Amino acid sequence: MATISFDLVSPENLIFNDDVGTIIVPGKDGDLGVLPGHSQVMSSLRPGRVMVYSEDKNLVKSFFVSGGFAEINPEKCIVLAESVVELNSLDKSSIEKEIEELGSKESKESEEQLSIAKAKLEAITVSFYDKI
Amino acid sequence: MPSLKDIKTQINSVGSTKKITSAMKMVAASKLRRSQEKAEAARPYSSRLEEMLSSLASSAASGEGIIKLLTGTGNDQNYIVVPVSADRGLCGGFNSSINRETFKLVKSLEGNGKKVQLMPVGKKSRDFFNRVMKNQIIESFVDLNVSSTGYESALNISNKLQELYFESKFDKCILVFNKFKSAISQEVTQQQLIPLDVSNSEKEEEKENSSNAIYDYEPDEETILKDLLPKNVSIQIFKVLLESDAGEQGARMAAMDNATRNAGEMIDSLTLKYNRTRQAFITKELIEIISGAESI
Repeated sequence: MATISFDLVSPENLIFNDDVGTIIVPGKDGDLGVLPGHSQVMSSLRPGRVMVYSEDKNLVKSFFVSGGFAEINPEKCIVLAESVVELNSLDKSSIEKEIEELGSKESKESEEQLSIAKAKLEAITVSFYDKI
Repeated sequence: MPSLKDIKTQINSVGSTKKITSAMKMVAASKLRRSQEKAEAARPYSSRLEEMLSSLASSAASGEGIIKLLTGTGNDQNYIVVPVSADRGLCGGFNSSINRETFKLVKSLEGNGKKVQLMPVGKKSRDFFNRVMKNQIIESFVDLNVSSTGYESALNISNKLQELYFESKFDKCILVFNKFKSAISQEVTQQQLIPLDVSNSEKEEEKENSSNAIYDYEPDEETILKDLLPKNVSIQIFKVLLESDAGEQGARMAAMDNATRNAGEMIDSLTLKYNRTRQAFITKELIEIISGAESI
């Protein structure tokens, strides 16, 4: 089976760069499953999970991104994300705390952060059920 | 004629200055490596963002709101100039060349009847423009520490700029910064940040258009462009900050290297003088003893 080259880039550095089997990208209008030979798409992203699968469908890595862009062509998939965290390193209780704190504030900025934090929590919960 | 003791103290003081400058040189060298790595690491993101943008730029003819970052306001009366300098001195001509260039730019724009405002980044340019054009400064950013705080610091600047832009406080924004050419040379560069200058990326665009088929856009071109443009401003600033940081360390390293070398030369010549004086004293004493003995 063919592979597709995948780059995950944040403003500070290049986080992931390898040939993989499948990538799931959280597009603004819904998740995109990217396989080798995907048509050319440019999409903006919502906060969510980026899942990287190897050729034999094993999960290699999963990241949380807080938004950004994806550029996809048949051989290559590039994700530009502002902030990238590996999903395993996220801590559920601290995010719940953050949501509580942000919920009490009322400004445009905190609202934005709140929606990102909520998406984080959702990402953790979903990947927890994935394991079961 | 200075006494032996005077020369000795002078040698010692130059010696301790030499120690300081050579220590600073080594610190700058290690910082330079770190900032260079940072600048290197940030390159993939900005170059890819640029690629994306250049393939999108053609689709935006004109528009309201965020698209204005690309197309401009249609005026060019009000300018904002952002000189990017260092927070500290002792780095040769690094800061003064930025200040001089900015000063020249402001004067020439004003000569053409434009209104210019300043938004200095870094203590050295803030202090300079506080002295010469205090009432034109609208905001200044100091103590950024890009190498440790990272992207956040660039975001602050870019948010402020965009806020001012959408309040129609200015039509064009020009950055003046030291471009990092190599560890020992920097080049003062002007870059137009707003509206975005696509002319330099146009060549790439042609290349891409010929080799690549047309993309599908999700949700649609305009929405992506609206997300992409503000981000591009922040990224450009981030890139400039990193380059300037690396340049500062390089300039400091070169300046301190020179200072260390000069101190070494000075110590050599002072030592020579010390020895000569010592010998002169000995000769004088000998003559005195001999002439004393002769007279008996």
